Order: sequence, then C-alpha cells, then structure tokens
Amino acid sequence: MRSKHRPTVRRATIERPLMNNESHNKYWKSLAERDGSRSDNGVNPQDGSPFAISRRRFLEAAGFTLSLATMQGCGRTPTETALPFVQQPEGVIPGRSQTYATTCAGCTAGCGLLVKVRDGRPLKMEGMPEHPLSHGGLCAIGQALPLGLYDSHRLQHPLKDGESAEWEGVDQLISQQLSDIESGGEAVRFVTSTVTSPTLQSSIDNFLERFTDARHITFDAVSSSAILDAHEQTHGSRVLPRYRLDAAQVIVSFGADFLGTWISPVEFTSAWRTRRVPTVEHPEMSYHVQLEGRLSLTGSNADRRLRLAPDEYGLVLSHLYAKLAQRAGESLDQDDLGTAPIADDELTALADRLWAARGESVVLCDSQDVAVQVLVNGINHRLENYGKTVDIERPSRQRQGNDGDVLELIDELNAGKVAALFVAGTDLTHNLPDRDGLAEAIGKVGLVVSFSERLDDVSSLAGFVCPDHHPLESWSDAEPVDGVIGLSQPLLAPLGDTRSVVESLARWSGNDDSAYDILRANWEQSIFPRLESEESSPFVRFWDQSLHDGYVEVAPTTEAVGEFQADAIKPIGDSPATDDCLSLYSKVGLTDSRHAHNPWLQELPDPVTKVTWDNYVCVSPAKASELGLSDGDVVRVESTGTDVGLELPVLIQPGQHDRVLAIALGYGVKGTDRFADVGPQWLEARPTVEPGQFVGKNAAGLIEPHEGTLHYSRGDVSITKTGRRHELASTQEHHSLEVPARVAPPGAEKRDVVQETSLTAFAEDPTSGTPEVHHFGDVQLWPEDHPKTGHAWGMSIDLNACTGCSACVIACQSENNVPVVGKDEVRRQREMHWIRLDRYYSGEGDDVDVSHQPMMCQHCDNAPCETVCPVLATVHSEEGLNEQAYNRCVGTRYCANNCPYKVRRFNWFEYPHGDELQNLALNPDVTVRSRGVMEKCSMCVQRIEEGKIEAGRLGEPLADGQVQTACQQSCPAQAIVFGDMNDPESAIAKALEGPRRYGVLEEFNFRPTVSYLRMVRNRDADESGDHHDHDAEGGDHV
Amino acid sequence: MHRTIVNVILLVGLFFGLIVLASGMSEWRLPDNQQGYAPQQPIAYSHRLHAGELGIDCQFCHTAAEHGRHAGIPSTDVCMKCHKYVTSSFDVLQQEIKLADEKKRKPETVISTELQALYDTLGLDDPKQPIPDDAKSIPWVRVHNLPDYVYFDHRAHVAAGVTCQKCHGPVESMERVRQFESLSMGWCVNCHREATEDGINGHAVKASTDCATCHY
Repeated sequence: MRSKHRPTVRRATIERPLMNNESHNKYWKSLAERDGSRSDNGVNPQDGSPFAISRRRFLEAAGFTLSLATMQGCGRTPTETALPFVQQPEGVIPGRSQTYATTCAGCTAGCGLLVKVRDGRPLKMEGMPEHPLSHGGLCAIGQALPLGLYDSHRLQHPLKDGESAEWEGVDQLISQQLSDIESGGEAVRFVTSTVTSPTLQSSIDNFLERFTDARHITFDAVSSSAILDAHEQTHGSRVLPRYRLDAAQVIVSFGADFLGTWISPVEFTSAWRTRRVPTVEHPEMSYHVQLEGRLSLTGSNADRRLRLAPDEYGLVLSHLYAKLAQRAGESLDQDDLGTAPIADDELTALADRLWAARGESVVLCDSQDVAVQVLVNGINHRLENYGKTVDIERPSRQRQGNDGDVLELIDELNAGKVAALFVAGTDLTHNLPDRDGLAEAIGKVGLVVSFSERLDDVSSLAGFVCPDHHPLESWSDAEPVDGVIGLSQPLLAPLGDTRSVVESLARWSGNDDSAYDILRANWEQSIFPRLESEESSPFVRFWDQSLHDGYVEVAPTTEAVGEFQADAIKPIGDSPATDDCLSLYSKVGLTDSRHAHNPWLQELPDPVTKVTWDNYVCVSPAKASELGLSDGDVVRVESTGTDVGLELPVLIQPGQHDRVLAIALGYGVKGTDRFADVGPQWLEARPTVEPGQFVGKNAAGLIEPHEGTLHYSRGDVSITKTGRRHELASTQEHHSLEVPARVAPPGAEKRDVVQETSLTAFAEDPTSGTPEVHHFGDVQLWPEDHPKTGHAWGMSIDLNACTGCSACVIACQSENNVPVVGKDEVRRQREMHWIRLDRYYSGEGDDVDVSHQPMMCQHCDNAPCETVCPVLATVHSEEGLNEQAYNRCVGTRYCANNCPYKVRRFNWFEYPHGDELQNLALNPDVTVRSRGVMEKCSMCVQRIEEGKIEAGRLGEPLADGQVQTACQQSCPAQAIVFGDMNDPESAIAKALEGPRRYGVLEEFNFRPTVSYLRMVRNRDADESGDHHDHDAEGGDHV
Repeated sequence: MHRTIVNVILLVGLFFGLIVLASGMSEWRLPDNQQGYAPQQPIAYSHRLHAGELGIDCQFCHTAAEHGRHAGIPSTDVCMKCHKYVTSSFDVLQQEIKLADEKKRKPETVISTELQALYDTLGLDDPKQPIPDDAKSIPWVRVHNLPDYVYFDHRAHVAAGVTCQKCHGPVESMERVRQFESLSMGWCVNCHREATEDGINGHAVKASTDCATCHY
C-alpha cells in the first residue's frame, strides 16, 4: 500500500509498446530491442543486470515451460513395485504400527519408553504412562532417539587402528593381549559412564575377575560425585539419594537444574508438577526457591529466585544451617561466618519456611564441593527430610560417577601404569580437562578398546573400536532407582555389524552366549529372586510379564545406611573473593557430548537463551555494559591458573549473577563438522559450521579437578574482548506476537499474551489476573459452516505446569516430519518447528521473572489465515480444526502474514532429505512437504483420523484420551490436555471450565481453540504486584 | 508442379505425423490420472480365475483391508496354502491323470509356467516345504497408487460397508488387474457426498469431506 499510485503508472508505460508491437509487428520486431532498452517494463537492460528480460520474452518462456511441465505430467507415473512378505510374521499388518515397551537409554535416568514400530522401523518414542519414575513423560533427548539410530555416521564395523576389521580377527587379537596381561598381572582399567544396567555391571565384574589388578571406574561427563562423597561422610555409604519432589512442600535448590538437566529431569518434573497446580477447592502449591548464578530452566520456574554465584553456596548454606540449628534450640556460633551475600531477612524467611515444612521440604545442590554437599545433607537431616523427601533406603543409581577414581586413573595413565584401558559409554578425553596430556598418556597404554558407537575423540586414540549397538537395537536393562528395573528390547535388527558390550565381554572371556541369553540368565539368577510376590510363579511368566510391561518393581538391594554423622559438618565461613566465577552447565536437550550428532537436538532452541547450534558465554547485562559487550561479540575466557582458554561469542542473559560467566558443556564434539551443509544449499547459504570447526567449542578444558572432584565452577578466570564477532542463531525475537514499534499504530495497547497471578490473589479470587480489555464483539464468521456437531477438538495448556523443557518441540518434529534447516536459515527466521516455546521476561532491574508459553496453531474458529487464502488451501473442518492442504497451497504466504500468532511456517526450500538412512525416521503418516507450501500445527490430525477410523472399525465410540497429540503424550509435566470439547465428561471440557482459562488475544474474537490456564506464582499478592506492571513485557502491541 | 509435389509430400507427412501423434496421445492422460492402467505383472496371476471362477473372497488374501490402512498384497505363504498341492490348472491335471491311466503309469506332477515362476521366487524344489530362507519377495507392480499426499484407509471403507468393487471395479472378471476408476479427488468426494446423503446399504454414514480426511 505504500506506493499506491506507482503500479498504474507502470502499467501505462507497459501497454504502449505492446500495442505498437501488435499493430506494427513486422517493423517493430527489431526495434523491440530498442523499446526494451527503454525502462518501460521496469527493467533496464543497460543496468547490466544479467536477468533483464522483456515482458514478451518472459511470457513466452513461461508459457513454454508451463506446457512442457504439463506434457511431462501427462505421461504415466513411474512404475512402482510393491514387495509383500514371503512369510508374514504373526501379528504384523503392513502399514499398522505396533507399540513396544522398553527403557530409554538417552541418559541414565531410565525413563519408561513406548516405541511405535511400523513396518519394522522404530519411528516415534513416547513416554510410558505406567512407569513409576517418568509417569508418561519423555524429554527431548528421548524423543530424538530415532535420529541417532538412523545415523549414517555410526560405525558399521569394528575398527583396528582406524581401519575396518572383522570381529573374528579383533576378538582374537584382544583375547591374546588380555591373556598376556593376565599372566603378567598388569593393570586393567574399565571406564564407563554410570552403569544402571545390572546385567552390564555383572558382565563387567565377571570380565574383570580374572585379572589381579583390575578396576571398574565410573566417569560421568557431568558428575554428581560430591553428593555421593558427602553421603559417605555423613551416612557412611556412597549413595545418591532419590529426591521425592512429589512429597516436598518447600523446594530449595542451590543451582540444581532439576527440571532441565540434573540427574533425572523427567522424573523430577513429573513429581514437581504434582504440587504445582492450585485448584479452587485447594488453592495450594509447593514453594520453590532457586538460588543460582546463571538463569537455568529450573530457576525460570521458581517462585522466588535469588542470584547467587556458585562459589557462595557454601557460605549461604552455612548461614541457613546455623539458622535452622537456632530453631532446633541449639546455639550455633554464627559470628565466625562471613557476611552472607543474601539479605538476612531473606534468609530468615527461607529458614522459617523450611523449618515449618520439616519432613516436607528438600534442599538440593549441584555443587561439586564435598564440604558444601555435606552441609546440604546436614540441613536435610536437621529438617528430618531423610526417609521422606530424601530417600536413601531406595537410592537413585542415575549418577554413580566417582571423580576421585577418575583423577587417580589419570595419574596412573600419566605414570604409564595401565596395560589395558576399556572405555564404554563416555568420551573420556573429550569430557576431561587437559585433553592433549590425557591423549598422550593414553598413547602409552598397550591395549585401548573403545565401545563407542561412532568415532569420537577417545575412539580415535583407541587401537580397537568395538562399536556397541544403538540402544534401540539391543537387549539390555536398567535399574535407575533401587528396586525399579527397566528392560530394553531390540526394536529392529542391528543396522551395522555392531555388537553389544555384554556380548563383546563374553567373547573375550571365552563365552559364546548372546546378549539375550546373558540378560535372561542374569534376570533369572539375580532379579527374579528379588520379586516380592505372595504366590510363586515360574520365571518364564515373570520374564514375559516384565518384557511386556517394560519394567518391574522388586525389592531393593541396598544394605542399611549408617547413622548420621553430625561431626562431618564443617561450616564454610567465607567465600573466595574473586572477580569472576565461571559456571559450566549442561544445555537442556543436549546434556553431554553423546547426542551432539543429533541435528534435532542441535537445532532445538535452548529453553532460556533460545540459541541454536552453538555454545556461548552467558554474561549478565551489567557485566556486558561494564566490558562494552553486545550479543555475538567474541570473548576469550581464560583460566589464569592453568592458561586454558576458550574463544566464544557472548550472550547477554538477564537474571544472571554479575560475577558469573556461564558456558555450556557438550559442544565442540569431534565429527560435528558433518553439519557444515545441513539445511538448504543456495546462493547465499552460509555453512552451519565453518570449515575445520565443530558445532560450538569444547569447554571441558575449563573443568577444575579439585580435592577429589571435578568442579564445574571455578574462580580463577578472566574475560577479554577479542574484537571479532560471531552471529548467534537465536530464535529469541522470531515470530513475535508483538508489532514492531516502528510500524505499530499510535496508541497501540500492550496485550496480555501471558497472564499470571499470585497464589494469595488466586485464593481470594480464582479469576484474579484477568486483564481488563475491550472485547471486539463475539460474532461468528461462519456459524452455519462450523456446526461442530460431531467432535470439537480443543486443547488447553497449563502455564503453571509447563516448565518450558521443550520436549514437545522434538516430539512434534519427530511426529510431523519437521525438517532441520541449519544455523544460517535459523538466523533468517526460517526455523520450521510447528510448536515453539515463547519465553517472556518480566520485571525490571536485575531480577527477572520468566514465563514460558508453548505456542502453536491456535485453530481459531474465526481464523484470519483462512479468509486471506486465495486458493482455499487453509480451511476449517467440521470438527473445529484449521486445516492446511499442502497439495492445494500455492505459497502466497498471505496466511502467515495474517496470522496473529505467527505460527505458520513456509517451506522456502526443498529441505534436504538426501540421507536415505535418516529418511527412515520420517513418519509415513504425514506428508513430507515440498518447496513453496505453507505448513503449521495440524493438531496431529493423522492421529485423530487414525483414532476415529480404528474406533469405527471396532464399532465403538472414540473414548476420551484415545487420541493424544504428540506434544501432549510426552509432556513430562502433563501440561497439555487435548480432546473433544463436545464431550462434557472429557478432560479437556473439565480443564476449560476452570477459572484460570484464557485465550491468547481472544479479545479480538479470533476464537482460538487452544486455551491457556493462567500462571500462578506462589507469592503474596503485593509481592507479585511489583511485577504485575511489567507483565506487559510478555504482552504485545497489537 | 514442384509446389504441388511439395504440397503432397507435406500433406502426406502431416497425415502420418497426426496418426503417430494421435496414437501417442491415446497413452496420455491428465496428470496423475491412471485410469485404465494395467501393467504386466511378474507372474500372470488371474483375478478372474481366483476371485471370479473359484469365488475366493477378496479378503481371504487381502486380509489387511479390514485391519489396516493398506489392503496389502498377500504374502507368498498365502499362495502356498493352496499351491503347495495345486500345481496346475484342473484341466491339465485331469489330462495328465487320463494320460497316465492310458499308459498305465503313475501321474507325474505337472507344473504350469506361472506356478513355476511362483516356486522359483521361493527357490522351492519338489516337496515344496519348508520355505527356504533365501526366498525372494515377488516384485508386483503397483496398479492403484495414490499420490503421497493422499491418505486412503481401507479399514474405514470396509467397516462402512463399501464393497471392494466400488473402487476397484469388477476385479473378479479381470484377467490382469487394471485401474477401473479414475481415483481422482472429484470422484472420491462425489462418493463421500452421496454416501452421506443416501447411506451405504441402508446404513447412515458420515463420510466427511474435510480436507484433512485424506490430506495431512
């Protein structure tokens, strides 16, 4: 509309020569070039543009191309063959998926997994609702397993000195060397990440038995060793407690990102959620305080968040301990303690809260300082939390890393004392500091065997690489929590010539059993006797039932833990006075280096920073202005003590402690240069990874070994600006609901996209937090066209339960064939995720509140997109869905422009599906979209259709909950409810009746079918009032 | 004179050209219209014989039509249920028995060329049991093939009582299967409209015409 008059002018000048052409065709033919040389068709050939073409020529060419294309389409489509089975396996129906129960091996949390297998291909990972730990949730890593399975970079054969070899030869050579070592009595070291599998553990024990000097060392890339060490001091047993957040009314976490990456995020999220949803009858919630340096996902969900650098945890915990001792009637001298970096009344209030909730509270801490963890134990003991919220009778086995052992191993390696080194499940050299020194030391070891699936850093140093199966290809088990044992079954035959670790170890011990035989034998021997059952049943039945269920609950094995040793507690009087404090953390959805080869996870925006495809240094806004930094400035972070340095771009993170610099681990992984040309390759495409580089940089060099543990925070760091820049691919401001200020109409109101209230206000008035807005009528555009007499699909998202963990993003990507676009396209705002997590900050100053809001197509009844589509490619269904017909779409993008929620995604390119192996992860029930069409959330209409058809086949009505969208199914917090709003008994109908329901921008009468449940923070009304004015940060100009 | 000859030559050329073009055109369809497509199959399986003459129910072989999206091409072991014993047509077998009777010998196994082709894919020798491991799948040529953006589900149609012939035509009379209907969207939508209006075999049905019924 800007240049309203210009087109008419243009048309006049165009028409004249055309008329001339027609009337004086013969003469003007040669002069047409002269006409063309005039700028009458908007293009001047003399401007040197190689694409200058006359209108007539263009139409000729277009017509010719079109007719050619049509003629080509008139032929027969290519012949396709259909290959039936020779012998159809029982129960298999081509084109129908079957679900198998197994255990997720994405990390050591051991969540229950239901795998949809279709035509022999595992396709979709779903959470197992019955599982006692994960309760149906599954995180982004679990969702992304198929892409790891169908990865053409996984090793297909064993390697000997980097060359492909045969198993037979490899086995022979290894066995020979082992018998030499055995007879020589030399040292054998077996390094693994935490082994939760009882069968693998017993295999390793059996394997090592024959050597006189053999040790099994557990190394976790991100370790919780200090918690175990602290329990050894206070309880006489090296255990990791199982934290029962479902029993905790007050949760105080010192840096532990338990909703994002810490130990068992899905289990914790599901437990945390049970006390986070207030109802009108019971307006109660747990109280969650987070004290942390960086802004973690968990911190972003806390009711109260205090900024505290990691090196100050000890001092604050000591104060807290002293205050609790006071309340217990003991007088503890507080005078020795330095001044706490947190206001005293704040700490007193916290102590009061904790004391009032004795036995119903929990204090968590991610510090790797044993003395700090001992204090945490002291506090939990004083609060009588042991046996209630902190369970060491049935402890967790999810992190068993022993850093002391690892440091000892490094010394042994350096001294050349190790004769054989086995590494399984961890990239040892990548995840430890002083990589080069360690690599040199490993070079001195005679026999180095790696079981890695791919050629990672430590494998490239190993003489033998004996690749393990992918977890979806192998028999295994897992005991994440004492007494809860998951069983894993293979879901397809191994794609390469790989072999499970258990089997390899058996071979080298002269045993020919298969992994299945070994597993089953171990279950019969060790696990079956632990079954606490009244009636005796044969093992076969137990085995079959366990295999069917995917998990079993048996008696715990742990011996009784000792009495609490109060004298272990030593207050930490002071915090080191350093300028900066480095904090190394794990990124949600990537954790350590194991999943760095997964493009879905690399392109998953960090839930808080929203950056993809990179790691970076997070600094606080104050720090940035002090150093004159802006987003993307490359800085050098250096440890002054060790001269280890790292150059990374800066990201300014509101809410971060001013002294803290935060860098994510798990980046810079060998082999990730494969992503250089991920995404569309076109004229202006820039590579996702620069030549010779990896995705991000490895920050493990900055880990500090100190007093027997690996510390992820250290004080001796300096930060300097390099002057270079690196553009981060952040989705932070993409698809904003806000109209940019420069085009916003004068007087535009901010809209309350995110709505929140406080618990006290909610208790008084459940509808509190409803903004006063002017509603623009409630006219239905097409009442007779949208009768919704049958089903009326609807969804509600509880903002109080949603943590922003982004599992839904990957669930959707996996279910709906959403392509990966690469870093450069993300920079151009062209990421394709159908569901995004909008993260809003609110509040002024350094302390910010965070709100997470999943945003996808709202399936408006009065959909603005539908009215502008010139070809009716997006229309409304009788069941209230906003449908997108890809085959009808011509790609005008009007709909995306008119969408107030900015949830439509355009296929700018034919996104590469060139990797045939990776294509096996595509869901055959959803069209792979081609270039030039629009797409968006369909509310998993393929699942709705499947549900309806199957119900029709069985002659039964479609039951509530039978159709679940992909995002809903795996949500660890069960924040999403989907169903038929016409069924008054359905979960969705009930969810929508609640007082917290609102629709985003519903005042405009778009009539969104997706509703949100208002967020309630556990605060007093006035406390929240401070922030209420700033809610508008989450609201927008419209 | 010259001009006449040139004109005659041009006319004759045009005539032949048109004939060639016309015969070529008869193979042309509108894009994606495969009506009448009847490709040669690796084994000349006759639906006329099996479904027509012998009256075997469609779902005896295409079992998945009731349970799954695809009706499915029967696995070879379904063929072998009968053809382990029936090695040739009845007439030929009768002739052999008669001939053997006349010549006073035991009747020999007569295997028709088509069944020999079936046995060859399985790598079977005489006793035809058990099916060896190196058996190959028969590469049947797909006749009914909808575009990738169309999701047709046999289950829904079988459950609603739509007969197979409604879409596949009189397969029981086809020696070689051909695509009988156009399977175009207009054809699908017409049937959905009619079925919703008139019902199927007296049952009321709701055949939706929403886009996402087939496209997602």
